Amino acid sequence: MAFDGRYYDGETGAPQAARFELDRGAGILRLMVKQGSAQHLDWPLNDIRAVSDGARQGRLVLSLRSDQHTDGTPLQVSRLVLKDAGAIAAIRAACPDLDRRDVASGTMRRVVSRGALALVAIGVMLFVVLPGLAGTLAALIPANREAQMGRVVVEQMERLFAGGDTASLRCQNPEGVTALAAMLDRLDAPQEPPITISVFNHKMVNAFAAPGGQVVLLRGLIEEAESPDEVAAVLAHEVAHVSARDPTRAMLRAAGSAGLLSLVFGDFAGGTAAVVLSEALLDASYSRGAEEAADAMARDMLQQAAINTKGMADFFGRLAQSERFIELPVFLSTHPDTVAREAQARRFSETQTQTRSALDDRQWQALRGICD
Amino acid sequence: MTSFQTQTQVARGERAVRAVFYGRGKPLFLLYLRTALLTLVTLGIYRFWARTRIRKYIWSATSVADDTFEYTGTGLEKLLGFLLAVVVLAIYLGLVQTALAFFGLFLFAEPESEAQVIAQLAAFYISFLAVLPLIFFAQYRARRYRLARTRWRGIRFGMDLAAWGYAARALGHLLLTLVSFGLLWPRQSFWLEKYMTDRSYYGEARFHQGGRWTELYPGLAHVGLGCLILLLSGVVIATTEAAWLGGLGVLLGLVWFLVGLVHYRVFAFNYLTRYKRLDETVTFQARLTTREVLRHILLGALAIIGASLAGAFLVSMVFGVTMGIGLATGGLETQSLDAPPAFLGVISVLTVLVYVGVILLIGGLWLVLVTQKVIGSAVNSFTITNVAGLDKIRQRAGDQGADAEGFADALDIGGGI
Repeated sequence: MAFDGRYYDGETGAPQAARFELDRGAGILRLMVKQGSAQHLDWPLNDIRAVSDGARQGRLVLSLRSDQHTDGTPLQVSRLVLKDAGAIAAIRAACPDLDRRDVASGTMRRVVSRGALALVAIGVMLFVVLPGLAGTLAALIPANREAQMGRVVVEQMERLFAGGDTASLRCQNPEGVTALAAMLDRLDAPQEPPITISVFNHKMVNAFAAPGGQVVLLRGLIEEAESPDEVAAVLAHEVAHVSARDPTRAMLRAAGSAGLLSLVFGDFAGGTAAVVLSEALLDASYSRGAEEAADAMARDMLQQAAINTKGMADFFGRLAQSERFIELPVFLSTHPDTVAREAQARRFSETQTQTRSALDDRQWQALRGICD
Repeated sequence: MTSFQTQTQVARGERAVRAVFYGRGKPLFLLYLRTALLTLVTLGIYRFWARTRIRKYIWSATSVADDTFEYTGTGLEKLLGFLLAVVVLAIYLGLVQTALAFFGLFLFAEPESEAQVIAQLAAFYISFLAVLPLIFFAQYRARRYRLARTRWRGIRFGMDLAAWGYAARALGHLLLTLVSFGLLWPRQSFWLEKYMTDRSYYGEARFHQGGRWTELYPGLAHVGLGCLILLLSGVVIATTEAAWLGGLGVLLGLVWFLVGLVHYRVFAFNYLTRYKRLDETVTFQARLTTREVLRHILLGALAIIGASLAGAFLVSMVFGVTMGIGLATGGLETQSLDAPPAFLGVISVLTVLVYVGVILLIGGLWLVLVTQKVIGSAVNSFTITNVAGLDKIRQRAGDQGADAEGFADALDIGGGI
């Protein structure tokens, strides 16, 4: 049985009327192009493909399987357009691979090799180049610029914790401030950058370091601590961070990697969430080294100040207990395993001799009342 | 759109034929939903195939003289191009952004005002400036790729390799437009379109963009009026007590300005189409109306708002019920620290599902009700004269272009389709 169609030879744009028959025995579609110089073409049924995702109903556009390169240069570009329902049904019945999509050989190899190249480039940028660059640039920033930046960051944090409340969160009970200054004196922190400690009136058990020697303690942390040695341990840890300029470096690095990550994930639904999540994971992996260094430096400072690191161990110990249940304090999420840190501090404290409390009782009571 | 029209168009030798758009909402919406879900579960990788399939649909719905367009791009080549672009951009962006963050710290020695503090923080995220030349480069490459993968009657479209020339010119024009406060915008739109059109082909036949850029000015009239209203409202606010009048004026001016922008786009599309020629003999007409485009945008926005409100209502109901069940079964004990309350988990899963669902719904509605409708209106307003002249045009040799539209995709240009 013969059907009608419209044929395009892929050489010119001229439409040509065509008739065709299906020879299922031989597995061939015999095409007779009537216009111009009449010609006969044989299309193997196995090689006939339909153009996919078509929007118009009641029509089918056929092409021959083309050995298409991955850059899309096809070798076979003729088209046969069918509008007759009978012809479409006959073709659907006769051509086994009508909806198959052909992929040029070697494509998988290219995908894998290019994918690996992209992964390596991103990995090298994220884990080697950006951290290195951030380190170099952090060292180049003038101290007064860094201090300025730090003040802005702390102000922003205060606004965040206040949650729209315009009242100041700073705790400034004079005796408490004096006690805190005494504790910082005891620790004998490095002179550069000069350290500024702020206490926020907020119940979260947490502490931060910001660029330019800014350290923030939250009221919840002071309340959670059972001895002045515990507060001194946290303070020493944050001071170690600002001395190493970790916060400045982290800000520079985050600026570079945020753009990179949003590039990779694109704009699909949930893409932003994926960027935020991987930024957090990345941050955690970087921070681990910085945290261990800060812990080590804090232990040294405590040792110099003759403060027992048992306070540090106790504090970590209680956090390890509560970590499983309460909301995870932010400053822990990027830190090494709390249990391991507790053990390390406890081992260190066993080597210490002749230690005395970080603050006397009167000072400790004053510090606990810094937010009153 | 009727079959009668289709029939008359087939008659050969006719002087002018209208283009017809056959796309429908439901199949496209279902296609979008299916591909968007696949994109979601593959963490974004399927987005290359999703875009390919949606383009195939739109292209094949567009018909001239009873022959539909064909999109021959593949998801695989888009993925390959994207990976290539990622390698280049990872290095470039990473370096540039870190440097920018550094200079953001460095530049303003002592911020004296709130504005300077904000400017300083903004400097952390100005990666935009650094990628601007790349964005223009990618725009050209993306159009070139789309043309290279578009066929009509088996004959391929194409475009010369000239993306860097385009990027350089686009930067220059943008600068001129900025320093002239937008007055030279028509010049920018005209010359950039001419640059691309003059390098475009159908088969071996070349397109040509005629016309004059000054003739685009009438299209800017409503943008100018909007600006004037905004300016007057500013004066009213500054000099009189009638703040409400000024506020009303600002609102009116803003709406007028935005409508004016749409009008300009439509006007420029019609004008530039009218002065395009193919192979010296084939000419085009476009009679798209601003009213029609605005209607699509407005109806689409209304539908999206309606759907979002209905969704929010549904969600609050579900949340209420879940909370109720949680409180009834667990009571206050679930608040203790011993076990994470189960219903909190249920709620967070629901929240994520709702978030994703809303984004998918908005994207799908916008594609079907606005993007497709506007394309449909534009196509249906299109006429081609001397369509017989197309019969003689011969096939074009292959173009190189291994990166597909990788840069455009990586830089997130081109939106839905």
